[in-house]
Amino acid sequence: MKKTHIIALLLIFVTIGVVVATLSDSSTYENFESAKLNAGQTFTVIGELDKDAEMIYDARKGLFTFYAIDKEGNTSKVFYGEPKPQDFERSEDITMKGFATDSGFVASEILLKCPSKYNEENAMAEK
Amino acid sequence: MEYIGESTWIGEVGRLLVVVALASSLFTALMMFLSRGKDKSMINWGKGAFVVHAISIFSVVGLLFYILLGHYFEYDYAWKHTSLDLEPRFVFSAFWEGQEGSFLLWMFWHCVLGLVLLVTAKSWTAPVIGFLAIVQGILTTMILGVYIFGTKIGMSPFVLIRELPENAALPWTQLPDYLQQIEAFSDGTGLNPLLQNYWMTIHPPTLFLGFASVVVPFLFAMSGLLRKDHKSWLKPALPWTFFSISILGTGILMGGAWAYEALSFGGFWAWDPVENASLVPWLILVGAGHIILIERNRGGAAHSMYIFIILAFFFILYSTFLTRSGVLGDTSVHSFVDLGLNGQLLVLLFTFVALPLALYLYSYKSIPKSDGNEDFWSREFWMFVGSLVLLVSAFQIIFSTSIPVIDKLVGPDGLVPLLSKKMAPPTDEIAHYNAWQIPFAIAIALLMAVGQFLSYRKTRLKWTWIPLARSLALAMLLTLAFGIAYDLHKNVLYFLLLLSGWYVVIANFDYWLFITKAKFRFSGSSLAHVGFGLLLVGSLISNGAKQFISKSPVHLSENFPANENLLVELNDTVQMGDFFVTFTGTEQIAHRRYYFMDYLRRDEKGEYTVDFSLEPHLQINEEMGLVAEPSTKHYFHKDIFTHLTYAADVDKRGDDEGYGEEMEFLMAKGDTFIVNRHFLILDSIVAEPVFAENERIHKLTVEAVLRLLATDGTTYTVRPSYSIEQDQDFHHEEIVEEAGIKIRFDDVKVDQNKLLIKTKTKVDDDEEFVVLKAIIFPWINILWAGCILMGLGTLIAVYTRVRRERRVT
Repeated sequence: MKKTHIIALLLIFVTIGVVVATLSDSSTYENFESAKLNAGQTFTVIGELDKDAEMIYDARKGLFTFYAIDKEGNTSKVFYGEPKPQDFERSEDITMKGFATDSGFVASEILLKCPSKYNEENAMAEK
Repeated sequence: MEYIGESTWIGEVGRLLVVVALASSLFTALMMFLSRGKDKSMINWGKGAFVVHAISIFSVVGLLFYILLGHYFEYDYAWKHTSLDLEPRFVFSAFWEGQEGSFLLWMFWHCVLGLVLLVTAKSWTAPVIGFLAIVQGILTTMILGVYIFGTKIGMSPFVLIRELPENAALPWTQLPDYLQQIEAFSDGTGLNPLLQNYWMTIHPPTLFLGFASVVVPFLFAMSGLLRKDHKSWLKPALPWTFFSISILGTGILMGGAWAYEALSFGGFWAWDPVENASLVPWLILVGAGHIILIERNRGGAAHSMYIFIILAFFFILYSTFLTRSGVLGDTSVHSFVDLGLNGQLLVLLFTFVALPLALYLYSYKSIPKSDGNEDFWSREFWMFVGSLVLLVSAFQIIFSTSIPVIDKLVGPDGLVPLLSKKMAPPTDEIAHYNAWQIPFAIAIALLMAVGQFLSYRKTRLKWTWIPLARSLALAMLLTLAFGIAYDLHKNVLYFLLLLSGWYVVIANFDYWLFITKAKFRFSGSSLAHVGFGLLLVGSLISNGAKQFISKSPVHLSENFPANENLLVELNDTVQMGDFFVTFTGTEQIAHRRYYFMDYLRRDEKGEYTVDFSLEPHLQINEEMGLVAEPSTKHYFHKDIFTHLTYAADVDKRGDDEGYGEEMEFLMAKGDTFIVNRHFLILDSIVAEPVFAENERIHKLTVEAVLRLLATDGTTYTVRPSYSIEQDQDFHHEEIVEEAGIKIRFDDVKVDQNKLLIKTKTKVDDDEEFVVLKAIIFPWINILWAGCILMGLGTLIAVYTRVRRERRVT
């Protein structure tokens, strides 16, 4: 299939393009400190809720603020321009996409990882 | 020791049946391959063993349902996935919520398909069932649940909670009456509220039938390679391939329908890793199906055909690995639990890389090569190009979805640490996928529009241009109409996709009407292609032109985009797009809490009339929290989708007495702080030890004497205390209602010589308001119509092909 060979060759180039583009499109997991070094650039930070710090959802403003501790132990204030996610307090891990500013981390997207049932089972086991 | 109230027989029978299923599948494979397809009696033994295998799997399925329906909470599976108040219609969802159940469902369908193949595969029975038995054997080990040399092999669905490794050493497992004594065993934790939706009772079985049926073309291909017969299996395999395309496609789209109806991300497709993992094998399978068509009609594509079929099956297994190994944990909204079967999943994956590869190399020389003189204007040439585009499109999706796997391989904590930082998915995933997939979709659509008009081998071009030009003109009219109406014509990619989508629809309809003269037996593929075109058009219009009508009037700062959430207070009316929306009340039915929203219109006279009402609701689940379910008003040409992003009445900020917003102070004697417009002064600290008879301190109470000073001079004295008695802490909190302050003496910081005082202020929890998101999806019905036509058309194609081939033989 000679003509097909040409097409196949073209598609191999597209495939290489896919790989290169995906690698350049992909972001990296950062922590609050390293995100600050490139303030304004969007990163993904995984952390957990700082349960001792204040957490305010101002529904009228439409702004939710809380403090999160990243995997390296850095604490940062986080602003989220969406309503407080349901069961936010119960979350184990918070994956935040956003950028750092002088006053805190501005999250555009938040993904919660809630405790799985397996953990609840362990809690039962302690009884 | 005898445990009271356990029904261990179910599990014992179940485990025995799993072992029987494993043994009989191995025996089937042995007989089928030893027979070399010739020894009749061996084949009959193999067939018999496969029937035994199927009956065992069906019985295991039956027993698991028995456990779930009978509320046998001593079984881990029942406890984890059901509860007493679970509506019986959701027991199916509970069955496949866990990994063990979903493996069982997959095996169940393999058995059903295997039984059909036993009857229909004729001369191919021996190798086809033999290979199926190997697949089934490996899958059965996934639910075996035994330890061999300390390695866990599979996870049995029949494990009792007391047998779980994490509970092994706990004292309650030694109580004969633990079921009666421990409260937690009286009810299960229940089904994830997200799955308590009717789509979840039909989407997984359809999807799994689709997943399972991909095995059939794979089995035939493997058998073909084994026998070095690359021609005669195409006939039986072809309808199966398109059956699989239809069912898997329908299953995936049902998942989209579920996401649209039950989930609140506002759309039917979000390029979530789990969605991608099922889409990829489908795309490759569609390519495979079309290459089989080429090979059957013209030949010369045998090598690509084998590669496509093997890849389609490989990606079924790979997506099983992705979704079940927990590797996607950080990147998907679907929550996955790692059952510790990753090693086994990898064995499964590598077996089905090595085995097909070995067979392919084994019969490499016997596979006919292409003659290399295909015509440029032939149907097969462009069908082949289309299949390659599908493959590349699938590759792009799976490559981006596999970023967590790349991290596991070459990330900083991976096998070979090449990267210095962990890779994360693109920050705007939807834009990333769309940037690639829209051009691919345009290419595919153009091929689909033109392809039908070309004939195999060589096309007489003269009259082909007429219907193609006629369709293009009509498609252009529709594109301009929709493009301008929904402002899609300014984006070049959107415009081209809309045009090529309509082109597929019109050209295939034209072909069906004028060339096949609308004959039923030719309508399958045309209908499926029309469906695909509508699907492209529908998803583009509904998504590309979706309109958030809930817009908050508050502008925070330039860092925040316009907020797409709108706050509505109880009995208040707020403008939202062309509507005015009133929050009229709430009602709770069982664990579902409904919020009534009236959508009003204002007529010319300025009077408001209720146009329609929506009832978005929250599922209140104590175990798993709140889940918001949207409510949608369906019109012929648009949907008005509404869901709650926040409801004040279920999110109390205060404690039982209505106090919240805690603040902490480290205070030394004489320190002053400001709390809620009051001065808080620590005047003195009083300690009151209580001595026991042996003169040691039995109880120590420390009282903080604090003064609250209001701005008008009013003074309150409060004496919160903190006491320790036999290693236990007690706190006495004080409330000053007039000041709206609650004070707690939390701890003594001995090293700093200070007291830790916590205060809470009265919060107003009486407000009733909701925050909602409302989106208009224009013409989403085109999308659903496309889905139905595509699935239906493919099934018609399968039916007519089976009938045609019966007539031929």
